[in-house]
Amino acid sequence: MAAKTPEQITDDLLRPLSGISGRYAVSAAFLAGVIVAALCAFFWQVYAGLGVSGLRWPVFWGFYITNFVFWIGLSHAGTLISAILRIANATWRRPVTRCAEVITVFALSIGATFPVIHLGRPWLAFWLFPYPSERGLWPNIRSPLLWDFFAINTYLMSSVTFLLLPMVPDLALIRDRATGWKKKIYGAVALGWTGTPKQWHRLETAMHIMAIAVIPVAVSVHSIVSWDFAMAPVPMWHSTIFAPYFVAGAIFSGIAALILAMALLRKLLRLEEYLLPIHFENLGKLLLVMSLLWFYFVFAERLTAWYGNETGEMAVFWVTQHGSYSPLFWAMVACNFLIPFPILAIKKLRTITGTAIASFTIVIGMWLERYLIIVPSLSHKYLTYSWGAYRPSWVEITITAGTFCAMGLLYMIFSKVVPIISIWELKAGLKERPQAAHAVAQPNEAGAD
Amino acid sequence: MGHQWGMAIDLDRCNGCEACVVACHAENNISTVGEDQAARSRVKHWIRVERYYEGEFPDVSVKFMPVFCQQCDAAPCEPVCPTFASYHTSEGLNGQVYNRCIGTRYCANACPYNARFFNFFNPVWEKPLNLQLNPDVSVREVGVMEKCTFCVQRIKAAEIQAAAEKRDLKDGELKPACVQSCPTRAMVFGDLSDPESEVSRLANSSRGTRLLGELGTRPKVTYLQRDSWHGSENA
Amino acid sequence: MERRDFLKISAVAGATAALEGCGNPDHQLIRFVPEEDMLPGVATWKPSICTLCPAGCGLLVRVMQGEAEVVRNGQLGLLKMGLAKKLEGNPAHPVNQGKLCPRGQAGLQVTYHPDRVKTPLARNGPRGSGQFREVSWDDAIKQLASQLSDLQGAKPDGTLALVTSPLRGQRKAIVNAFAASFKNAALVEFAFFDDGVIRAANAASFGHAMPPTVDLGQSNYVISFGADFLGTWNSPVAQSLAFGHMRKGRPGQRGKFVHFEPRISQTAASADEWIPVQPGAEGALALAIAHVIIAEKLRPAAAAGHAGSLIESWSQGLPDYAPEKVSAQVGVKPEKIARIAREAAAHDPAVAVIAGAATAHTNGLFSALAVNALNALLGSVGKPGGIVFAPGSPAAKDAGASLQTLISRISSGSSSVKSLLLYNANPLFAAPAAWGVRAALDKVPFIASFGSFIDDTSAQADLILPDHSPLESWLDDVPISGSAKTVVSVAPPAMNPLHDTRAMADVLLDAAHQVGGDLAKALPWKTYDEAIQAEFTALYKSQASRSAKDADEFWTNAKDQGGWWSAEESKAASIGVSGSGAAPKNAAPQFDGGTDQYPFHFLPFASQLLYDGSLAHLPWLQETPDPLSTAMWGSWVEINPATAAKLMIKQGDLVQVTSPHGSLEAPALITPGIAPDVIAMPVGQGHENFTRYATGRGANPISILSPALVEGTGSLAWASTRVKVQAVGRGKLILFGGSLSEASPELKHR
Ligand SMILES: Nc1nc2c(c(=O)[nH]1)N[C@H]1C(S)=C(S)[C@@H](COP(=O)(O)OP(=O)(O)OC[C@H]3O[C@@H](n4cnc5c(=O)[nH]c(N)nc54)[C@H](O)[C@@H]3O)O[C@H]1N2
Ligand SMILES: Nc1nc2c(c(=O)[nH]1)N[C@H]1C(S)=C(S)[C@@H](COP(=O)(O)OP(=O)(O)OC[C@H]3O[C@@H](n4cnc5c(=O)[nH]c(N)nc54)[C@H](O)[C@@H]3O)O[C@H]1N2
Ligand code: SF4
Ligand code: SF4
Ligand code: SF4
Ligand code: SF4
Ligand code: SF4
Ligand SMILES: [Mo]
Repeated sequence: MAAKTPEQITDDLLRPLSGISGRYAVSAAFLAGVIVAALCAFFWQVYAGLGVSGLRWPVFWGFYITNFVFWIGLSHAGTLISAILRIANATWRRPVTRCAEVITVFALSIGATFPVIHLGRPWLAFWLFPYPSERGLWPNIRSPLLWDFFAINTYLMSSVTFLLLPMVPDLALIRDRATGWKKKIYGAVALGWTGTPKQWHRLETAMHIMAIAVIPVAVSVHSIVSWDFAMAPVPMWHSTIFAPYFVAGAIFSGIAALILAMALLRKLLRLEEYLLPIHFENLGKLLLVMSLLWFYFVFAERLTAWYGNETGEMAVFWVTQHGSYSPLFWAMVACNFLIPFPILAIKKLRTITGTAIASFTIVIGMWLERYLIIVPSLSHKYLTYSWGAYRPSWVEITITAGTFCAMGLLYMIFSKVVPIISIWELKAGLKERPQAAHAVAQPNEAGAD
Repeated sequence: MGHQWGMAIDLDRCNGCEACVVACHAENNISTVGEDQAARSRVKHWIRVERYYEGEFPDVSVKFMPVFCQQCDAAPCEPVCPTFASYHTSEGLNGQVYNRCIGTRYCANACPYNARFFNFFNPVWEKPLNLQLNPDVSVREVGVMEKCTFCVQRIKAAEIQAAAEKRDLKDGELKPACVQSCPTRAMVFGDLSDPESEVSRLANSSRGTRLLGELGTRPKVTYLQRDSWHGSENA
Repeated sequence: MERRDFLKISAVAGATAALEGCGNPDHQLIRFVPEEDMLPGVATWKPSICTLCPAGCGLLVRVMQGEAEVVRNGQLGLLKMGLAKKLEGNPAHPVNQGKLCPRGQAGLQVTYHPDRVKTPLARNGPRGSGQFREVSWDDAIKQLASQLSDLQGAKPDGTLALVTSPLRGQRKAIVNAFAASFKNAALVEFAFFDDGVIRAANAASFGHAMPPTVDLGQSNYVISFGADFLGTWNSPVAQSLAFGHMRKGRPGQRGKFVHFEPRISQTAASADEWIPVQPGAEGALALAIAHVIIAEKLRPAAAAGHAGSLIESWSQGLPDYAPEKVSAQVGVKPEKIARIAREAAAHDPAVAVIAGAATAHTNGLFSALAVNALNALLGSVGKPGGIVFAPGSPAAKDAGASLQTLISRISSGSSSVKSLLLYNANPLFAAPAAWGVRAALDKVPFIASFGSFIDDTSAQADLILPDHSPLESWLDDVPISGSAKTVVSVAPPAMNPLHDTRAMADVLLDAAHQVGGDLAKALPWKTYDEAIQAEFTALYKSQASRSAKDADEFWTNAKDQGGWWSAEESKAASIGVSGSGAAPKNAAPQFDGGTDQYPFHFLPFASQLLYDGSLAHLPWLQETPDPLSTAMWGSWVEINPATAAKLMIKQGDLVQVTSPHGSLEAPALITPGIAPDVIAMPVGQGHENFTRYATGRGANPISILSPALVEGTGSLAWASTRVKVQAVGRGKLILFGGSLSEASPELKHR
């Protein structure tokens, strides 16, 4: 890294913004195609009725709510991690924070659509909003769905701010190099940044405040998501462990998602000199800790259920341990622990490829976890006569696929308009005071390039 | 008026005939969903007669248990509803306001009895089957939740009638459709706030149990457990 | 949004079309002047009669004003009219005392069924092609009359045949008189679940050719030999009421109920003790119980009187029926038999009932006589808590026999039936294929049906003269069981007809008067209701106890309360009465199909919801879960888990059931409530033609039954067939219930 001069950094990191490769166009088109298909599926569901999904009595929540929890979980990658790293002032974080924070914003926006997608009458979703209606009707604040509404909105707003603030200097940099209409647009979003010490000072203070403020928000979000379940007297839902269990799972899947994203960016945007093995090594260690934590939570949850031996819970317990849901259950354990643990524990395997593979299985495993929390419980509530089974329909599958593609496409577009690695923070890594960055921002020097 | 409507069901009388089920469909405009949707568990039986086998051939016994909304006094389906569509009425019923329901299905998950049913599609009555509809009961559109109401339309009608005649309701004068039809008189409906009512008496019977009462839902339906024969080979 | 939908639906629902969204075709409909001034939203209750099974329960119909799309003299329009909205039991009616069974509850859908025959139809295309054209009633009745007049007079060319459901009251009187005025006309009353065997047995034992009224309510010990008395047999609602009373209606006193049957029926499910018995061994079992009672001097053999004397070696105490001797044949442990005998003897009053498959083996008559003798021995005949017979006993009818003979005569050409009239009977569905009904129908030049629906048989008709729905029609009925009172039900129409239909009785009367001659003379009444009123005038004269001051008031009261019933109860039936007819010896049951090739007994049973199949067209009943299997919208084949394991059949597998007379396919339902050597299947589905809801759905077990009759009667021995089964693929089994048992982790897989 020391080999790189500020100018090289600027050039390397701005390169991805210029020009669109054929490969980029093709994959973007593909992703867009799937997204359009998902939109069609959704509108068909609105038109025909929720019956086109696989939902049924008594399994009233399925793929949609699974996706909701999954995406909200992923969103804990960025903001939370980068906030922690910022506060801990871990210098290796510098190339990582932005692509992490982007994950948060996109995953959160995607996750937040599912509570609407799954409604029986989505056109009335606005009744969840607290607004003075002509009938003086306010939503029911006792409902965890309302808590979701507030928590997710708060988290989304703070994450967006948390992403945008440190982008400003880089946007200014692009503005200064750009010409014509681009200059206008970047100029507008650069908020008149000139890099005066005063501005730098304000930016850093703001980042410090945000970094601290965003952590409790992030924790609250997944706690509340967990309470959507824990508040209902449903076997294996009604548990005090859910909030920390969900938060840990969220960070777990979040880090995995981050590692995957970084590995991809590294290849696709040729950022080999910036996203270094050390980053994957460190995040890999973090992931290892979370994997152990996850296993600990699952063990604790299962042990208490089994030891308590309450009839209702045991039905769900056994159906997941060795009943019809056991293949999925053991696949989840393999994906979240058995496979990643050795990879991440053994230093030799904790390579970029290694951590990427582990992260991949973890992302799958964590999706399965959410599915296995929701469906087996609902299909095996107390009265055995009312037991049922659930199978998703093509509509749910298409919409689910659509949201994964949406994540990819958004990420691709983002990396085309904003440097995915924070230029000024990297440079700041070179010198202690960010003078260099300040210097680059000088028009005359820019002209001299 | 302080009524607290409740029911008692004597499982020693119930013979699983299903009359209550059809009566409920007929009274409450519950739409039939047809073979394909039935195969996807989208049928809406506000009341169902649960059937449980015990033992192996030849020592098999069967238990029937009609299950429907227990009108819980601490109803898990109520606090979770974001629009107050599922709410508690002054007479202790769990009310369901179709107009207000946006179809989150949270209430149905929270209901430990799986007593709630969802309209996955708009209801259809192939003409002239539409003429069978009960004008006292609104029909439900796609995307809303529905369930046993204790035939609230009958309760209201009787209360209005009694009020018009400036008198109190007599015990037993008001019967939900299922109770009215039950050929074994297994079901008894009445006012739990009146200690003299038959339902109050049965609610305190030694055979009386509350379904999943241990969950703290405070159901307003009492199940009188199946009795056994007390005789012998020589009387 | 849903406001409009709500109103649109409620408008179509007969509330108001005026409020509807524009551009709706309903708007173009012309409005007819209201037929009656009803207050919108104000309900009136009118008495009627449930005709869906032989019990004849009394109804109250909730009628409210609504708007119906109807055709009046060729004009489609909206008519504000009184519409039936709900059926409830008539609390005043002695049989059902305000209660209804699920079938009765669903009766409303007969009236509003989308596939009702709305006008007279004449065949227009090859037979069975289902192609008909609408004709006017005048033309229809002319055509019928012309056909009939050919069969009138001294030298008729050909004969007349009528096949109807078992009839009662004035409809029976009219049909009988009508048939009688034709030279050697064949009048056949046919139903699959006919009570011919029980009538014959009761005629022989007690001199009453009718099913018993069982006073379960007062009984302390009930032994049922396969009688589905809580579900479909005899008078289920009356019996359910009494059952509830027996269990919990008498503080401190709870009767015991023991049920013998190879399968757990809905009734067996409520038993205190269900004991599987070898098919066809019910009679031997009853006599084994009697043996113990006599041997242990709990009752003297003589107590059984005439009913006992019909049984060989009864007076000697039935030496051949010692429990240990018959135990193997019966399949019940001797101790158990003895114990139940002692319990029954010790808990007076005790009563035994037999019906269903137990009377549908070739030795069914013997079994019924054996149970009659047991009842007599227990002293439960004509006593509270025992069996009595409703007053006025109609003559025994060998329904099945006469249909079978009629069919064989037609096929063999020995009888030249030129015209066949069908009413509420569906022989093509309800008779074994082996009887050859289809071939016989092809030989009949003219077939007319009075059905409200095109079913398997009426699809073969040349002329369809649609009857009113029961709610639109005058009705009268004389229940033969369910109450010990004299009951004569009557009901004026509860609502005006929706379609251009006419009551069968009125059509017969019209046709008769057009034909004139003896036929007209035989039928003095102008209309059906006139005939009913005549019946009540006669009843007024014959009844000593009556409140009404004259015949008119008697008639008016009867119409208002849904009939007339005596205050006092009949004590008819006593062991003294010597009946007629000799009893057959205990023949071992004959089964059709060798045990090696056909290892299983085939046990068809009445569906709690679809009854004998005549109700398969009602969506409410199709979608209501069967009480035990919880199956909806289809057939199933019940198999014992051990048997299934042996044959490698899994829940929901499509299995092929093959008898010597054919084979069918239906999904397997594995249940602990059936003997390993028995395969059971509900009757009701498998219509090749019966409205959009039933056509082509499921399989019809009747089609593969043996044609054998119950010895000494003309009733079909529908439980005497043996079958083999094999899995042939995956079936469509739609279950509502998840788990079989209350505390099991096993799962439902759909
Ligand atoms: N075509 C036609 N028009 C009519 C009538 C008719 O019969 N036909 N009837 C007239 C009569 S009698 C009346 S009272 C009016 C009623 O007119 P409206 O009151 O407009 O109709 P509604 O659909 O009952 O209620 C309006 C909206 O409120 C929604 N709503 C229900 N709960 C909530 C909630 O919690 N929050 C919010 N924000 N909205 C909620 C309903 O779903 C509906 O979308 O219509 C009048 N207009
Ligand atoms: N699901 C649901 N239920 C609702 C509502 C809802 O929004 N959704 N809204 C509620 C409200 S606000 C209202 S106002 C009611 C409205 O609903 P209702 O008033 O109960 O029913 P309507 O269909 O409006 O009309 C009632 C009766 O008036 C009769 N009628 C029509 N025209 C005439 C006439 O000219 N003369 C006479 N005598 N009778 C006539 C109709 O045939 C019908 O039988 O529904 C209430 N119920
Ligand atoms: S109607 Fe009565 S007897 Fe029949 S199933 Fe329902 S509760 Fe039981
Ligand atoms: S039974 Fe279920 S739906 Fe009814 S009140 Fe209780 S929780 Fe709510
Ligand atoms: S489905 Fe309807 S009633 Fe149930 S919680 Fe959601 S909005 Fe409330
Ligand atoms: S009380 Fe009314 S709504 Fe509830 S089950 Fe009985 S009939 Fe249905
Ligand atoms: S038993 Fe049921 S079907 Fe038969 S007459 Fe009575 S109500 Fe109707
Ligand atoms: Mo209104």
